[in-house]
Amino acid sequence: MVTIAAAVYFAINTSTFLTSGNFKTLLPYFAPLAILGAGEVFVMILGEIDLSIGAMYMFAPIVFYKLDTAGLGLVPSVILALAVCVAVGAINGAFVSILGVSSFVTTLGMLFTFEGLSLIISHGTPVATPGAQVHQTTSLVHHVVNGHDIVLPEKINHIGTFAKIFGGGVYSELIWAVAIVILLQVVLTFTRWGLYTVAIGSNKIGAAEAGVKVKLVTIRNFVLCALLAGLVGTFEAVRSQTIQPDPSGPNKILLLAIAAAVIGGTLLSGGSGTVVGALIGALFLGILEDGLILQGVNANYLLFYTGLAVVVAMTANVYVGRARRGHGSG
Amino acid sequence: MADPGSAPAPSAPASAPEDVLRVEHIAKRFGPVTALQDVNLHLKKGEVLGLLGDNGAGKSTLIKIISGFQRADAGRMFLHGQPYEPKSVDDARAKGIDTVYQDLALIDELSVYHNMFLRRERVRRPLPLLNNREMKSEARRALDGIGINIPRIDVAVARLSGGQRQAIAVARTVNSASDIILLDEPLAAMGVKEGAQILDLVARLKEEGNVSIIMILHNYVQVFEACDRVNMIQEGRIALDKPTSETSVEEITNIVVDEYRRAREEEHAANTRATENAGGTEDVPSAS
Repeated sequence: MVTIAAAVYFAINTSTFLTSGNFKTLLPYFAPLAILGAGEVFVMILGEIDLSIGAMYMFAPIVFYKLDTAGLGLVPSVILALAVCVAVGAINGAFVSILGVSSFVTTLGMLFTFEGLSLIISHGTPVATPGAQVHQTTSLVHHVVNGHDIVLPEKINHIGTFAKIFGGGVYSELIWAVAIVILLQVVLTFTRWGLYTVAIGSNKIGAAEAGVKVKLVTIRNFVLCALLAGLVGTFEAVRSQTIQPDPSGPNKILLLAIAAAVIGGTLLSGGSGTVVGALIGALFLGILEDGLILQGVNANYLLFYTGLAVVVAMTANVYVGRARRGHGSG
Repeated sequence: MADPGSAPAPSAPASAPEDVLRVEHIAKRFGPVTALQDVNLHLKKGEVLGLLGDNGAGKSTLIKIISGFQRADAGRMFLHGQPYEPKSVDDARAKGIDTVYQDLALIDELSVYHNMFLRRERVRRPLPLLNNREMKSEARRALDGIGINIPRIDVAVARLSGGQRQAIAVARTVNSASDIILLDEPLAAMGVKEGAQILDLVARLKEEGNVSIIMILHNYVQVFEACDRVNMIQEGRIALDKPTSETSVEEITNIVVDEYRRAREEEHAANTRATENAGGTEDVPSAS
């Protein structure tokens, strides 16, 4: 509802908001957040949180680059980089569910550790993303001008199939985001995995007494969250064609992903949330940032307005949710 | 804890072939606290066994060990004469033992029918998607069969009353096709009418004779109404094991009261000793 209100507001107040060109500029804002938010929802419904997604987002492309330059090939390098993320997710889940360390502390530690490791491995130097470079070819195109046939050379940009699939294509990330969100929403609503995720977040002891394997589900959800973060990190590296070893971007996107999940109605206390909601939350953040830029809001005010909007949206959601469920949350 | 010499003798494990479940010399400690010292218990086929004992006597711990939720530190269990060592709740359930826990193990955010089928979900093929329609109709049938009125089974259990929640937890276990059912205070939080419904259900299950039941109860009157035999746990041991026809509310009450008096005298004696000792040590600083 808040998202629709924001979209309507900007559609009325700016002339270019409802154009396909603008939709394309909106995509890079919201598609990565939707995917990261989807993973975060699975962890947050458990009543946990994963802060290490920022580190996976930064670490995966660096591992990918190192493996590719070692001659492993593009696709195997991506798969291995994502396998590293899976391992980190499993460690997160094991710390939380087996050792009983708070997920906030565990994943905060992992966030710093793997952002640090990223800087060490990359020596803090940006590099060009393998397989993402644009090749230009020149072809001769016939034009008819005033009855004369003129041949002019035109430059055409090409990107490889790998880059087109892994985030380089205009709609690549959108397609991934929609596919992942639909798949995970189905998993959450219509499978035992989803049912147990809600059960653990709602009543961990009760779920264990009923025979739900709490440790297994917890580890699996942290693995999912880390895997998606590594995937999005790779997409963004391919799309921007550079791998930037700078933690500030990942730290911001980490917090925005959590904001997207919460705006989408996922409770930090666990037991309730939807993947589609996180997508809508991500869309809201994208629309807000994009709309404010189109309205000509001074760049210095952007974060300020985003912050206010997040607080308003989250508060509205809490009250709407409470009214809908017919009892105080607690 | 209790002086072993003064504790009542544990009921001797008599060898009986009709026992579906035997528990021998079970002990369990939680850090410095001894929950169970040496418990011997047996359950006959088709029998309803009432488990009594004051708060903290170890009743719930014993139930949790039999149900596979916790492991005993020592002792052995036998199910239908075979050694029984449940590795998990799922394992115990697979072997035919299911439990209604004191805290009910209900999931507030899930619907009535999802709660009733938790860990026994009906799933479609080939994609493992939940078959909600089948679970709904089966849950409805099971609740109707028990005679418990839940108006809507697709609402979250958070919206139901305490008695309705209890009824769902009991119905879930009864519906599980287990042959041994453990009920940890099934009548807590229930109104008189709902409580009577549950006791009726227990009586009906007993009549059918397929299941054996261990039931923890606090209300002695209900014990005599519903149970064939009563076991009383005191300080982690079985202090009394009699058929309900051979004992009375009075006898059970006296055991509890005597135990309370004895413990208080012991405590008093210990305090006196402690005071004397303290008096003795007071001299030490002045002497040094």
